[in-house]
Order: sequence, then C-alpha cells, then structure tokens
Amino acid sequence: MRLRSGLAGALVLAVLTASVASYAQSQKGRATEDYLKTPLPPGFQVINTELEGPVFATSAGMTLYTWPMKPLRNGDAGEQKGKPSCSDKKYTENAGLMSPYPAGFILPDVETRMSCVQLWPPVLAPDDAKPVDKWTVVERADGARQWAYDGFALYTSILDKTPGDVIGATNRRMIGEGGAPREPVGPKPNVPPGFVVVQTALGRLVVDAARKSVYTWDKDGPNKSNCDATCAEEWKPVIAPESAQGRGEWAVIERSPGVKQWTFRKKPLYLHVLDPEGHPASLEGSDVPGWHNVYTQTAPTAPKGFTIQDAPAGQVLADAEGRTVYTYKCSDDAPDQFACDHPDMPQAYRFAVCGGGDPARCLKTFPYVIAAKDAKSDSQIWSTMDIDPKTGHRAAPGQADALRVWAYRDRPVFTFAGDKKPGDLYGDSWGEFQGARNGFKAFWLRDDYFNNAS
Amino acid sequence: MKRALGMIAASALTLAAGAAQAADGAAAALAETALKTKTIGFLITDEVWGVYQTPEAKVECPEGLNQWGPREQFKALFPEDGTKHTLVEGQLAREAASWFPTLEPDRFPFREAQGKISYGLNLDGKVKAGDFTSPEGETGIDNQLYRAIGCIEEYRGPTGILHFLVNRYLRDFDYNRVMFEITKLDDLNNDPDVDVTIYRGRDRPLADATGNDIIPGGSQRVDARWGKKYVQKLHGKIENGVLMTEPADISLPHAIFNSIPGEDSIQGARFHLKMTSERAEGLLAGYSDIDKWYYQLMHSWSTHHQSYGQMSSPSLYKKLHQLADGYPDPKTGKNTAISSALQVKFTQVFIQHPTKEVASKDPDQKPARH
Repeated sequence: MRLRSGLAGALVLAVLTASVASYAQSQKGRATEDYLKTPLPPGFQVINTELEGPVFATSAGMTLYTWPMKPLRNGDAGEQKGKPSCSDKKYTENAGLMSPYPAGFILPDVETRMSCVQLWPPVLAPDDAKPVDKWTVVERADGARQWAYDGFALYTSILDKTPGDVIGATNRRMIGEGGAPREPVGPKPNVPPGFVVVQTALGRLVVDAARKSVYTWDKDGPNKSNCDATCAEEWKPVIAPESAQGRGEWAVIERSPGVKQWTFRKKPLYLHVLDPEGHPASLEGSDVPGWHNVYTQTAPTAPKGFTIQDAPAGQVLADAEGRTVYTYKCSDDAPDQFACDHPDMPQAYRFAVCGGGDPARCLKTFPYVIAAKDAKSDSQIWSTMDIDPKTGHRAAPGQADALRVWAYRDRPVFTFAGDKKPGDLYGDSWGEFQGARNGFKAFWLRDDYFNNAS
Repeated sequence: MKRALGMIAASALTLAAGAAQAADGAAAALAETALKTKTIGFLITDEVWGVYQTPEAKVECPEGLNQWGPREQFKALFPEDGTKHTLVEGQLAREAASWFPTLEPDRFPFREAQGKISYGLNLDGKVKAGDFTSPEGETGIDNQLYRAIGCIEEYRGPTGILHFLVNRYLRDFDYNRVMFEITKLDDLNNDPDVDVTIYRGRDRPLADATGNDIIPGGSQRVDARWGKKYVQKLHGKIENGVLMTEPADISLPHAIFNSIPGEDSIQGARFHLKMTSERAEGLLAGYSDIDKWYYQLMHSWSTHHQSYGQMSSPSLYKKLHQLADGYPDPKTGKNTAISSALQVKFTQVFIQHPTKEVASKDPDQKPARH
C-alpha cells in the first residue's frame, strides 16, 4: 500500500513537472499584435503591452485610460463623453452605489485617501492642441483642457511606473459586479471585417463575428490548405468574400476554384463545427492534436514553479503543490470608484473578507503565493514584491518579517486554505458580490462553461 | 353549419387521440429500447430544496415569514440617528460576519418552519421527536433543513427568487447537466438490482417548440474531462416504478448563479424517484455538510441577493448548526451536517459515452495556444 502511494506521488510529481515544463515559456520571440495605424496628436504613441496588446501612451510611455460611465445598483459612476468628472475632491464617505449598504460611512484610510486626479492624473492638452481623428480636447470643470479619445477624457495611472505597464486597470472581462472601473484604451486590432480579438488569460484570441474561435492546422502549408472534404466536415474553412483583400498579416487564398479562405500569418483558418453552441471563444478545438487556437499575441505564462490543474469547468493556474491560485478584486464605493485591490491601496476591504478583519487570519485563510528570494520573472505582468504581513502593504526596505510574494499585474496572488487537492475551487468567488466587488476569484486559464478566463 | 362544427370537433378529437397515441407510442418505444439495452438515462431539469408549503404559510410559518434580512439587520445596527460610523464598522463588518459566521447567540429573531409535514425521507430509519411526516403519510421524515429555510421567502415557490432562478440557471448553464444512467435494467417497474451512475453531460438539452419544456429523446455526451470528478457509481432497486438507491456521499455540479462553478454535496444521499420511460421525479435526500452547504450559498448569492428575501446568512448559519442532526464530529460530538431533501425532476436522455479517454489527449495539461 505504501509502495502504491509512493508511486502515485511520484506520478503526480511527474505530471506537475511536465506541466511546468510545458507552461513556463520564454517571453522572447513572442509575436505581437498588429493594429490599425491612425493619426495621433503630437506627444502620444502606441505601445505593445504584454497582456492588453497595443495601447495608447504618453510620450513617456504611460498608458492612457478612460472611465466610461457604468450603471451600478443605486446609481451611475464614471464619465459621460465630453464631461470629465474626476476632480481634486477628496471623498471621505461611501456613496451607497452598491446594494444593500447605504451611503454615508467613513471610508477606510480616509486621512490618506487621494483625490481622483492624484490617482488618475488627467492628460492635459496644450493651448494649441488640435483634434486629430478620434482625439479631441474637452474642458475640465476648472477650465483646463484635457485630451479625450472617442469623447472620453484621458488619464494616466500613478500605479504605472514604466512604459508598457497597464497596472491601473485591465480590459480583461469581469464577470459579476465589480464597480465602474477604468479601461486602458488603444488602437483597433488590424483584423479584417468579420473577425474580433478578445482578451483572455492566455492572450488576445481571434474569433469570428459570432464569437466562434478560429483555428489553424499543423498539416497545412504556408498559405495552402491541405484540409480535404473529409477534414472540412469537422473543420469548416473560414470563407472570405469574393471582394476580400489581404491586409497586414492576413491574406486570402483560393482553396478551390472560386472558393476563397482567410489565412493569418500564412496559416489557413477554420471553424470547429463541434465547438459548443453558446460558448464563445472556445478552446475545445485545440484539444484535437495538430489544431490550434489563433492569438494575435499570447500572454506571458506564469513563472517557473506554477502549474496548471484541471478543475470542474476547465483549467486553473496553481502553485507548485497544485493549489489553485486566486487573484483579489476590489472596487470601493466612493463616487470616484477607486480600485482597492492593490497593495498601495487600503487593505481593510481585503482583511474583512479574508480574515474577518484580522490580518493574521488572512495569512492563514488566503496565504500569499510565496516566491523564492532569488525568483525572477521574464515578463512585465508577473513580478515579485515584498509585503508587510501585518499591513498588507509593501514592506519597508530591509524589513525583517517581509514576505516575498508573487504578483500578477503588480497585485499579490493567493491560495486558499480550504482547497485540499488540485482542482479544488473553494476560495473562488469568495467575498462581496461573488468576489467581484471585494473578494477572490480563481485564476482561470481555460473555462469551457462560463468564460471566466476572458 | 352545425354539421360542419360537428365534423371539426370530431376531427379535433381524432387529432388529440392521435397525439396521445403518438406520445404513448414514444414512451413505449423508449421503454422497449431501455429493456433491450438494459440501460436508461435521465437528465436533470428541476432542482429545489424541498419546502412544504401551505396556503399563505399559515401552518409552517404561523408568525409570518422571516423579516430580518441584511437590510433590516443593518438598519437596526446602524440607525439613522446622526451618528457617524466607519465603513469598517458597518459594511465590512457585516460582510466579515457573513464570511466568518460564528455560533454566538443571534441578536435577531429567526423564524423556523413549524408544522408536522415535510418532504424528505426517513434517513436514519427511526421515528423521533422532531421528525416530520411526509405528504403521503410516511413517518420519521428527516429534513431539518426545511426548518431552517422554510420561512425564508427566497426558498419558497413559485415566486421566491432562489426557487425560480435556480431552475432557470439549472437549465441555462451546461455546467449543470447532471445525468444518471441505470444499467443492468431488466424491468422498469420492478428490478431488485440495478446500477446507477451519475455523469455530467455537455450539450444543450432537447426542448419542445416553446424552448421551455425539456423533452425525452435527446442525447447528451458525457463530460469525461472536466466532469470526471462527478462520475459516481451507486447501487439501487426499482419497486413499483420507484427507483431507490443505497446511501452514498455524492457531489453534483451546480452553478446557482452568475457563472460561479459550485457543487451540492450530500452525505448518505439516496434517490427516491418515481420513474417512467420518459421522466423521473422525486427526491434526492441525505445530510448536507453545513459548511459546504453554507459556502455554496455564499459564493453564489451575495448579500444584495440575500436581501431580496430577508435572508441573513449569519443568522441562517447559526440556525443550521442548531438544527444539525447528522455526522457528529468525532472530537467535539457536535453534528456537522443537516438532514435535507432536494426535489428533483429528470427527463429521459440517451447518454453518449466517449469512445476513448478524452483527457489522455492532453497528458501535459498544456493550455491551448497558437
């Protein structure tokens, strides 16, 4: 019996090792997303970022964000086009925008709470700024001129430190009610009509207009389809209209007389007829050997030491022991809707849901994923940081009891004490509003049922 | 004219009779197939926690339904009297109380269900004080969960939001395709020895022209990859058309709401289903582990949603523990589980098993990427 357990353990270890080997990949040589080149005003540029793809940035490389209005349970938050509302007012009380809790309660860390413009500096326009394409100039309440894109006022985030950082906010889809977040803004992907690029945990996935995934096949040649009639029963060629023209990395081939097919990066594209109805952006076709989903660019994988585990809806990122990894989401209830999921922001929200207000209990319930002292990441979205375990904020330099932890998008990641075996998800959706408002979400890499990996 | 109307009426009757015959024919064909293959499969279509209801709840909730939900409790704790409180003292403390509930005495009244009748099964084989009688007259029914939730409006049909939303999402989410297959089947009405295997399906169910009624004759592929943990084997018998399985610990995938993958875990669970070749309907009863039951609710159903029906989770947690009646902790002796019964409905389905091990296609568990 003991021998059998030992063998089973060795087998598990082997599988974990194999997962690590295949998952942790170098970021060098990754293809990046092509985008539509449109005129930019002076002082702006496009930067290709690891997760969000191409984004607009200042000349210093700081990503630009908008804050579109969003309806919440008890009112709206965000900005209308042409009407920037992010101001220098320092809010001290919650606004009661989310049910069931009323307004008028004093916000955490109120003495040090910043104003909106301190956290989200407006991108001011010089007096001689002129509108270009979708770039316009709007007037702030104090009379200052501010750049806007597609009507929405533009901001940078003080959380972004280096060019390519998109720490302030993300375009990854949030299932549930997570407040009114900011959004990074960028140019449109250079894809032909009929295709869409969607943000997923694994990268920027190409789907068709109906949100069905497109695939490539290893047995095709460059701009040549070898998928015959039998093959095409399961893999439907993505037919290009008669008038379709190639653009950038996209081309049109004639697979048979009069029948045109799209290719991307010289690979013919197909739809998988067995992909389930009602499940957009499916990865199921890539389970068939030789067939692959199509990404304009892949996201950096987690650093060495992380693993992937099967879970009841797909696959989750896990630590070296196979425990599911969780990210923490938080948006406060002030009119300016600050994200509170970052270690530089108030920790009272997290302490409430991971430890009943007790930081020590949090360390046991949702422990940080600890990184080795010499751990390195070769991507910008994965990093290590030193955390003060008592406050949840960054540790002081040289702090003796600091914890070196792994962080995704500059936010620590966690495991859950209630998960006992690989694939357990008992910490998922833990917290306010199914974990979306103030709580923990499993780090889904693939979700065949709900798109939690988008 | 009268003659014409008479002919129309006669035609209608003929058509109705024809439809009934067709339906009978379909049922007979399904029965024939089941006996020929010694196999029949069923797909879940409805699932609610059993709450026996009398008109206006006068018997089971003589003082009315629960009145102290999250909003009411919050208002009592923080009256609008001009006193300033912090968010930490208010909202965050209430959320902490929900996620880390205690067994301290409740400050608020909680109305538990009264009455003598409840859905459920006699799980322990005894007739004890506090047990219920089933609507059919069977004594010794164990369903203490009914006492805890029977006077919470959200759990009551047909308008309780958990009552109707659970079934809507049960059908909407493919994640919830619970099925079971009876094998070694010799007789649909009486068979002393059948095997019952639970699977998860992965396809949209076959519905009628309205799209609302899931009908027999559909097919479902087994989810042999992500649903592997839900493949569970039971043993049972059929007596007078009622399928009864032996007690077993089972878990069923159940996303209640908002894309949250969850599961219902029941210890010592047993099916008790009246069965035809087209439908199976009845109870899945057993002991619900209190912590798993509670956190399945909490993950899926936020404080906001609990407010719809005056459901206070910290108060409910205390009540669940007060009423717990099974699976005592070996160290403390305190019960960790509560007797419970799900009312379930299934429709016949042809279960398609994979021809090979799907999961073996991806031995490295490599995520798909270009």
